[in-house]
Amino acid sequence: MAQFKYLVPLVVGTVVGVIGGALPGVTITMTIIVALPFTFGLDPLQGLAAMTGIYVGGSAGGLITATLLGIPGTPSSLATIFDGFPMARKGEPGRAVWLGIWASFFGGLLGGVFLIAATGPLAAFALRFGPWEFFSLFILALSMVAGLVESSLAKGLLAGMLGLVVTVLGNDPLMGAPRLTFGIAFLEGGIAFLPVLIGVFAFAQIMTDVEKMGRARRAAEVVVGATHLAVSHLRVIGEILRKPFLLLWTSLIGVWIGVLPAIGGSAANMMAYDQAKKLSRSPETFGTGNPEGIIASEASNNANVGGSLVTIMAFGIPGDAVTAVMLGALAIHGIQSGPLFISQQPTLAYGIFAAYLIAHPIMVIVTGLAARWALRVVMVPKTLLYPVVLVLCVVGAYALNNTMANVYVLLIFGLLGYAMVKAGLPLAPFILGVILGDQIEINLIRAIMSDADPWLFVTRPISGALLALAVASVAFSIWQHRRMQAKRVPVEGDADF
Amino acid sequence: MGRDGYTGLAVLAASLGLFWATLGLERHPMVPVGPGFYPRIVLGLTALFALGLLVADVVAHRRRAPASVAAAGEGNYPLVALAFGVFAAYALALPWLGFRISTFLFLVAMPAVLERPAAPRRWLLVVAIAVIATGVVYYVFEHYLHVLMPRGRWTGF
Repeated sequence: MAQFKYLVPLVVGTVVGVIGGALPGVTITMTIIVALPFTFGLDPLQGLAAMTGIYVGGSAGGLITATLLGIPGTPSSLATIFDGFPMARKGEPGRAVWLGIWASFFGGLLGGVFLIAATGPLAAFALRFGPWEFFSLFILALSMVAGLVESSLAKGLLAGMLGLVVTVLGNDPLMGAPRLTFGIAFLEGGIAFLPVLIGVFAFAQIMTDVEKMGRARRAAEVVVGATHLAVSHLRVIGEILRKPFLLLWTSLIGVWIGVLPAIGGSAANMMAYDQAKKLSRSPETFGTGNPEGIIASEASNNANVGGSLVTIMAFGIPGDAVTAVMLGALAIHGIQSGPLFISQQPTLAYGIFAAYLIAHPIMVIVTGLAARWALRVVMVPKTLLYPVVLVLCVVGAYALNNTMANVYVLLIFGLLGYAMVKAGLPLAPFILGVILGDQIEINLIRAIMSDADPWLFVTRPISGALLALAVASVAFSIWQHRRMQAKRVPVEGDADF
Repeated sequence: MGRDGYTGLAVLAASLGLFWATLGLERHPMVPVGPGFYPRIVLGLTALFALGLLVADVVAHRRRAPASVAAAGEGNYPLVALAFGVFAAYALALPWLGFRISTFLFLVAMPAVLERPAAPRRWLLVVAIAVIATGVVYYVFEHYLHVLMPRGRWTGF
């Protein structure tokens, strides 16, 4: 991994990630989508190294604008604003930024420890799975996403089903029998999920921002002296390490949220911030520049990356939209992610571990160097930035297999994604449905072909336990939403897909 | 009926239409279930959830006074429609005009639609970005990543 050919894409990816993460309105997902076509010409490990760099860099990059402008560069740095921006306004912008950078570093490394320690055993456990267990696991993933992260369970489930509907168009994946193609030759091969993902996320996100253009805007308040970020690093690192329990606990929250499918850094940093406030000896100072708030938010969102990578490498289920793109990138190279990934592709698996770990010190250097001039970059008008992003989206869809059909898929699903946003349908379950649809069908049919007894889904211990968890997840969601309604607390937000 | 009701109705109609289309699918002699087995489960459940959303919305609207219905958002929808139109035109023009011409035109048209350049200097900036971005993307993908970008049927360029 220390080889130059892998280090260059990793460094470039981290730089791109930090910039993308720092740009308000440009999410890490959008950054990785834009970078995706550039990885097609690279070998798989080079491409994955670049994407890992973007992921790690993007998770930290958001803190620059969060602390110095009070605008979250990415949703995963939202909680950093609460204390980072007040601290910067009090005349300590350097301390605010570097607390975030070093907390990201330590949180990320703790996530890395979990990534390396847990992926192998979890993959070994998943090797005991037959088609019944995989079917039940995917159903659990869908029900969790639909149930846990949305304001309306019904809409979450409906969105997940719509994702599955996309995958039933085209020849059936097992026998290749034509179905629901309506005479359109392009549909025979089914709809590739990457153009769908690009359309739903990049296009729909941009159109949602376009909606707000031409209206009154709040000018960003740049902290006076924001370009003077010099600080004693030993003091900042000491400040973080003097709170080992906070660092460990909020990193664990990040890892756990990352492991859960489709719930990413945005949930992790808010939950970690909430926990930090509850555990603090001075909770009343939160929101006024308390360093614990910055540490909690930034440690959790970078630890979250490690958790997401575990899920994709051990089970083949994307932890969030970024790992969904990585899953697509693997598929382009003919590599199947899942329990056999480590044993069949050890170079790639250990390469991802190495890239993840090396990306963190690179992130510290890049974010530290970039913080000063990143403020100038983020002032680039979206009216100039978004058209270029859209062109790269088109190129990304086209370059998948050099066909315009994927561009039209992007166009159609961009419109559909925007319509879903306006209809209040969450995008996370939809995309997970698109990604898992074929695997759900294949495992269902394989199970039936092995033994037609449908009760095996319930009576096989692991499969039954996974289905019970799926039912429990839905039941918990119903209970939670009723409780929220009784308290009249609005449940906001989508998952990180 | 509110937003959820219309969403439920649209999804219900689409899923029932597709469900109907699966009824004509023939079974494969090699497998115990045909190619329509799984789509019928998926589409049936989709129709069920859509019906649930529709019914819940209708019931909620009967209970709720009309005045309490949330006001529509104040987004700049004409601009969204225009931006989508420009993007759609770009996607459709690609095979006819080729990547270089259509991308240049798109990169000039889209910023102008989103925020009309007020001064000639701003127009110059937009055109410069269009030329540079088109050139860089074309060069990187054609020469470095070996992706054959679309050539125009009308222009040959």
